[in-house]
Amino acid sequence: MTADMRRSPGPSPADPRVVGGLDYSIDHHVPGAWHLRLVRSDVAAGRVVDIDTTGVESDVTIITPADVAAYGTFGCQIADQRVLAAEPKFAGDPVVAVVAPTPEAAREAAASIQLDYDEAHGVFNEFEAATASAPLVHTSHASASGDAAYFAMRPLDGTNVCHRFRIRTPELRGYDEPELIRELPPLDDATMSDAFAGSDIVVEETFRTPAAAHVPMEPHATTAQWVDGRLEVITGTQTPFNLRQDLAALFGLDPADVRVVAPAMGGSFGAKTFMRTEAITAVAAAFTGKPVRCVLDRDEVFSEVTRHASTVWMRMGATREGRFVAKQMVAYVNTGAYADCGPGVAQKLGYAGVGPYRFDHVAVDSYCTYTNLPPAGAFRGYGAMQSAWASERLVDMLAGELHIDPVELRRMNLLRDGDAFCTGEIMHDTHFEELLDDAAKAVAWNDGRDGKGVAIILKGMQTPSRAEVAIHALPDGRFEVRSATADMGQGAPEALTRMAADVLGVPPEHIVVPPPDTDLAPYDTRTTSSRSTHMMSRALAAAADDLRANGTVGHGRIVNDGGLDPDTGTGVASSHWHQGAAAAHVDVDDETGIIDVRSLYATSYAGRVVHRAAAELQNEGSMIMSLGTALFEELTYVDGQLVNPNLSEYNIASALDGATIHHRLLETPGAEVHGLGETAVPPVPPALGNAVASLGYHPCRLPMTPERVLASRVHPRQEAP
Amino acid sequence: MKITLSVNDRSVDVDVAPSTMLVDVLRDELGITSARATCGVGLCGTCTVLLDGRPVSSCLLMAPLAIGKRITTVEGLPDDDAVVRCFSERHAFQCGFCIPGMVLTARDMIDTGRANTPEEIREGLGGNLCRCGCYVKIVDAIEEAAR
Ligand code: FES
Ligand code: FES
Repeated sequence: MTADMRRSPGPSPADPRVVGGLDYSIDHHVPGAWHLRLVRSDVAAGRVVDIDTTGVESDVTIITPADVAAYGTFGCQIADQRVLAAEPKFAGDPVVAVVAPTPEAAREAAASIQLDYDEAHGVFNEFEAATASAPLVHTSHASASGDAAYFAMRPLDGTNVCHRFRIRTPELRGYDEPELIRELPPLDDATMSDAFAGSDIVVEETFRTPAAAHVPMEPHATTAQWVDGRLEVITGTQTPFNLRQDLAALFGLDPADVRVVAPAMGGSFGAKTFMRTEAITAVAAAFTGKPVRCVLDRDEVFSEVTRHASTVWMRMGATREGRFVAKQMVAYVNTGAYADCGPGVAQKLGYAGVGPYRFDHVAVDSYCTYTNLPPAGAFRGYGAMQSAWASERLVDMLAGELHIDPVELRRMNLLRDGDAFCTGEIMHDTHFEELLDDAAKAVAWNDGRDGKGVAIILKGMQTPSRAEVAIHALPDGRFEVRSATADMGQGAPEALTRMAADVLGVPPEHIVVPPPDTDLAPYDTRTTSSRSTHMMSRALAAAADDLRANGTVGHGRIVNDGGLDPDTGTGVASSHWHQGAAAAHVDVDDETGIIDVRSLYATSYAGRVVHRAAAELQNEGSMIMSLGTALFEELTYVDGQLVNPNLSEYNIASALDGATIHHRLLETPGAEVHGLGETAVPPVPPALGNAVASLGYHPCRLPMTPERVLASRVHPRQEAP
Repeated sequence: MKITLSVNDRSVDVDVAPSTMLVDVLRDELGITSARATCGVGLCGTCTVLLDGRPVSSCLLMAPLAIGKRITTVEGLPDDDAVVRCFSERHAFQCGFCIPGMVLTARDMIDTGRANTPEEIREGLGGNLCRCGCYVKIVDAIEEAAR
């Protein structure tokens, strides 16, 4: 029945994605699979004291925390998570799994199980979690050893801080400082007074961003089975090799005995990275001896992984003429109950918050703190949005104090080729000035600036990282490109096809790109941080050379070294930089606080474009998602309980919101390929915020809901002091 | 209960509980995976199908209520459908999860003369969400298909 209801490949040039011809993870069915449902904690913190399963039918397999106690902990950067939680750490933490022959039976069984708790006090805010009196979410910190833990961890024992990342430019080193800053430092703080000594004007402010949801349209869907002692997992994931490594560690297997197949995803945006439902699904398959399928409900997707909420305090000093002197930042990043890749996010947020500017002195403390909220992980932008919101709003505040045009002030201080970033690395291939001018022009900056705002950002690419690809010459004359680059809608197969055709000098029809399968594809770090097109373009060129030399199989391997010292921030943050700017023109209704976006523009450095439509879509999609971030997206928790886990109360942008969007890809023929998956994400909220601020408001907190805008009104209208 | 449905101009018999939603019948009984439940509450449009030519959310429609009506999914559109062609040519998709629902909604908008301007098209798409944010190209594709 299945096959003949499908459209047969006819003369129509219909793309399979348009006519329902593409199978996502959720569409993959393994015959005989049983169905998994999770019974989740109602409490945000505590201990489960009783699990009442008397209502469950006898053919249902029940798995409790005690049943899986022999399995160790896992986590991509900190091994802090268990397959099931006897001591739940957020409302929604899986406590019991049930596995039944049908989805209905599994649902019924899960609903009939009663949990009793010994409830404990939780902590929910990232800043409060860092205070001395906060209850500890985890009593100890254990760094992970897998490839995703690519930098030295600085957990602060006895606190909720699981990682502390610091930048201290050379003259700010060697002071005796507390490990954890729990109160925002006064300006005469001995360490920093030197840094700001050369400043005529100093501004400071605290900025906040909430937790947010990725909302991939396709939920997480995983099928696991054991075949002759090997584990096979079919799952939508951006990180097939990290997942293979973590699953192998959990089951004590050789990684070669774990196979991860990653079909196309119906969206991810970071939601399908590292270990998600795969661990419990694989355990359930081991328990039942059957293939097991797990598909999350929409409300579960909302709490599976979120974007890090943040509190970012920032201080900036400049000379009267507008030369930037010093920046200090203390950021608290809310990673929820499990660290996931929060340490990496804290690091990236830390250096991205410095912005694309020259400073004499930079001091950053970025703390990744545990709370009793759902875990936060990778989210399009990876921390750069949170700190760009602070940094770019603060630049406009400084411009106001200095009476210097905000575009002009930025231009005076932008990083140019040959300048040193705060990490010590020397900038190259910089395009900031061009991007800034382009953004300003898009909103006719010189024709009056009321209601207008600009922002400019830099964002790192995953560094260090490694990419490998293999090209197999097929007997029929075509070439198969085997890579672990996952397809989440960004057009990975198309980009690989075009790049491979290019380096091999054959038409694209001669290229075949199967979905990632760790049994076939060589290792790849992961499809994140807009790195894949860039890394793969280089790896493919190497693979083509190897193929020419060796006949039937060509291997290409690219390694980017780098990384940052966690105590000084010295090193190589990024082997190349994502650079972007945005501009906005808005009206604000001063009765209601409603922001009317008249135009929103983003301009991103693309280098060489591989696939024009896909590149444009990345830019447009980033802007639209970030428009929601700026104006309305927020996961709302009351005492750790999520109150809007559905699309009627958690709004995402619709076609109506997309009406005012324009953008540009800044291209340099023959240049390196630059990933574009996230570049337009960070500059959009501050461009909108600065536009709103130009009308006499002082927004410091996202999203800029009408109530918050009204409450931020500066009386009288913000004027030169 | 045993019911007979007309799906893409074929008559099919299925045996389902009376409260089964149409989207589940299409996916689980008939293997038509282009209808997709995302929100389950009638807000996102990924489950859109045409019922006698008009778009409905199949996540909210109990299958027996579709008896005697023509159900059309994207697989049932003619091979040379202009909406399908324009979405494909203009690359109006990223992950594609929302696209079949968009195509069917657009088909109805065009058939009923409600796709005359970009503003009208955006209004008409209010119940079809695309998290990948392909709206600019989607609106362009529909505008072209309507010509
Ligand atoms: S799933 Fe039916 S409208 Fe969203
Ligand atoms: S194309 Fe991915 S949700 Fe629309």
